Amino acid sequence: MKLNKIIIKNFRSYYGENYFELSDGLTLVIGDNGDGKTTFFEALEWLFDTSRDNKSESNISEMRKAEIEIEDSDEVSVTMSFEHRGEKEISKKFIFEKDVNGAIRTRDFSFVGYEIVGSERYRRDGKILLESCFDTVVRRYCLFKGERELNVFDNNTALKTLVDTFSGIKQFDNLVELTSYFEQQSDNLVTKELKKDKKQEAVIKRLESELSKVQSAISDVRHDISIKEKAVSDYETRLRVLEENQDACENLQNINARIEQKRIEQRKLMGYINLDYNAMLLDDMWILRAFPPILSEYQKKVAALSREKRKLQKAEDERIAIEKGKQEAIQEIQKLANDATPLPWNLPDKETMQEMIDDEICKVCGRPAKKGSDAYNFMVNKLNEYLDHIRKKSEISQQQDPVKPLFENTYINELHTRSIQLSGDTEQELIMLATVIADRLAFVQSRKQDLERVNKDLIEDEDAKMQLLIQTPDLTEEMLIKNFKDFKGLSDSSKRASLDLQELKHELEELEAQKQDLKEQQNQIVPSNGIVRVYQKVHIALERIMKAFEAAKDRNVAEFIQTLEEQANIYLKKLNADDFRGVIKIKRTADGSARINLYSSNDTLIANPGGAQKTTMYMSVLFAISKITTLKRDEDYPLIFDAPTSSFGDFKEDIFYNIIDNIDKQCIIFTKDLLRYNRETEKRELDFDKINQLSCSVYRIQKSPGYDEEDLSTIRTITERIK
Amino acid sequence: MAEKLYDLWAKRNPNWEKRFEDSIIKNFSDYGKGVTKLGEAKGKLFGAGYEVFIIAFFIGLYYGQRRKLIDDSTKIKSLGQPIQYWGNIDSVKGRKAYPKLKEFIFIALVAKTDFDFIALDKGLVTPRKAVDALMQTMEEYANWGFHFMEDKLIDNPNYFYRETAFLEIFLTFDSSTTESTEDEPESLD
Repeated sequence: MKLNKIIIKNFRSYYGENYFELSDGLTLVIGDNGDGKTTFFEALEWLFDTSRDNKSESNISEMRKAEIEIEDSDEVSVTMSFEHRGEKEISKKFIFEKDVNGAIRTRDFSFVGYEIVGSERYRRDGKILLESCFDTVVRRYCLFKGERELNVFDNNTALKTLVDTFSGIKQFDNLVELTSYFEQQSDNLVTKELKKDKKQEAVIKRLESELSKVQSAISDVRHDISIKEKAVSDYETRLRVLEENQDACENLQNINARIEQKRIEQRKLMGYINLDYNAMLLDDMWILRAFPPILSEYQKKVAALSREKRKLQKAEDERIAIEKGKQEAIQEIQKLANDATPLPWNLPDKETMQEMIDDEICKVCGRPAKKGSDAYNFMVNKLNEYLDHIRKKSEISQQQDPVKPLFENTYINELHTRSIQLSGDTEQELIMLATVIADRLAFVQSRKQDLERVNKDLIEDEDAKMQLLIQTPDLTEEMLIKNFKDFKGLSDSSKRASLDLQELKHELEELEAQKQDLKEQQNQIVPSNGIVRVYQKVHIALERIMKAFEAAKDRNVAEFIQTLEEQANIYLKKLNADDFRGVIKIKRTADGSARINLYSSNDTLIANPGGAQKTTMYMSVLFAISKITTLKRDEDYPLIFDAPTSSFGDFKEDIFYNIIDNIDKQCIIFTKDLLRYNRETEKRELDFDKINQLSCSVYRIQKSPGYDEEDLSTIRTITERIK
Repeated sequence: MAEKLYDLWAKRNPNWEKRFEDSIIKNFSDYGKGVTKLGEAKGKLFGAGYEVFIIAFFIGLYYGQRRKLIDDSTKIKSLGQPIQYWGNIDSVKGRKAYPKLKEFIFIALVAKTDFDFIALDKGLVTPRKAVDALMQTMEEYANWGFHFMEDKLIDNPNYFYRETAFLEIFLTFDSSTTESTEDEPESLD
């Protein structure tokens, strides 16, 4: 079949009659978005639709509809003339008219065909003529809208349909069925006759029972296998979809893990850095950093006051002693060799004095004070003085001594005690505070530098993530993460299912061997009746014939697939010219369909081929199917593609059209490739540099100028033959 | 037994000049808000009003600068909490108590106040007089500190909103005990 001409009349944006002469090879119909490419394609789909008489008003040109007068009428039609064992034509049309109310009505749908012999045109039924020249199944492999529809093996019955239609082995089905029937009948007959044989009855019954068991087991295992195969196939399909984004998922996962890690680090560092210094001045008493000189000043002042007070007290005591004539007291007071002011009576305290006496050592100066020595006696006197003091004090308080003491208050003592309390550890801590603060501030500074580094890393990771998400525009971050999790689960399930399947297949093999063995045993039985022996031989012969047909059928499908694969690879090589191409492998699946895969030269599966790679792969298979059809059915048919190359780059486009141009095959491709933006006119115009390199026919379709996007009745596609 | 000087002092509330109420005390602390409303007061540099007073006091102390309070009692105000409660509670989130700090304030006041403690012990002057003298020292140092802050704010109203603004002031003071120990420790033998 070869298309010669297509005439589209008043079909949607195609106003009036629009002619397209088609060349034997490639015809390019070039138009930008909205220029009418898909409408053209859908006009053909409408023409080829034999399922219903569609005279929908929506197919009428809005411009024509708006234009016609009341009670006037016109027609919508698509006409195709073609060669198929002679010149033929089909034309589908319906009439539309505007009634008195201005409403549009459609009527008189017709689908007419013509056979043209010489100058005579013989009218035929359009539907019958179309089906006989270009049947529904073939049409399935002819019209392709966009890139997604190119995979012809996307449903489970595709391979069977393809094999049935194009391989010419459909008759094998009948033969297999017939021989199987014969085998079954003869088997029943032999078994029935053998059972009558008294000698063999027991054996045959046993064999029959065992065979029945094995057959039932085989049937069960087959059922399990088909379920398992379906599962494996489903897993593979889903994994394949997921696989396409697996790299991105893993990268995202890694980046997210890094970001999370950095965020934790960031929070930790912020904790070190974000200090409330004002609170620390008070809560941690950092405000006392410069306090040591003041403490020192206090200690000196209080020590001096204490000394002064004791000096005055001593003088007072002397005066009283003299007055009271208590020389002993004077002697006691004057015990210190150089007439220095003695320590207060309560220093050192009672416990300390007792300890020094017991240990016979002065723990103030560190010198020994052996019992009986001056030093020892001094300590004993000092302790006695302490005890006297306590005793006298209590006596005085009991006797209510009327003599007024020199000092009636002990505030200086209070201050002195506080001074003593603050010396030692507290004083040391105060002195160290400056260092503590300096260390802490240095630590914070260092963490600030760490934070800067972490923040920089975070920005880099966020950028990387952004970049990654830009590269997978169809997927959100959530989808990618879900994808990653699903993939892991599915991978595991798929592996398990594959293992189960292997085991089941092994089990099936064993059962089949058992069955074969039982059959053999059955065939080995020598019947006593001569006629039964003949039956038996006939059955054995029929069984072999049946097996031969089964094997032949299977081999035929395998051969068909092999031929398809070979042809597809020839086209793949052509379509990809110098580019990487890989090898197409078509694999039969459990569900009776097939899967097209691309393998690299070292025989590893390319799980996620690029857009152009995938398109050329599928197109190669389509060309191969078409080629096989030509070979097997001795008939050719055109391939019609609507925008198949949207994922191609500029370079790939040129090569692609050049190659299709040179393939001996009628193709119509609707595309917006080969348009170039013109800065001066600010429009996309034909790229004649590229078009002139092609030898094919080229049509330009575009909206006629001056249209109003809001008003459909102003939109009209105009067509122009460029070459 | 007579009450300790420290305890007498700790019962007091120091005075300060009203002029700092809005510009400094309320500006920097939750002064006047009451404990229950503390949670609402966000972004304040300090909690209670006395905290600003302590800061002002130490600024004056370390600079060695005192300034008499204005001689007009109508322009004077005192803090709500006596010294004994300062720094005792840590009800504000993220803060901790610092009860010891007031002891150091007391020490500084004793060191810096010119007062005849011998006469006090002899009973020639009342403890009240002593505490009055200590309080005056405290108020005068703080008053100078408030003026110091006010000057900073005139130049730049946001001066103290840098997180390290106050800390930096306290880091400028010398922390070493420069004077050599003039007075030898008393000989014990």
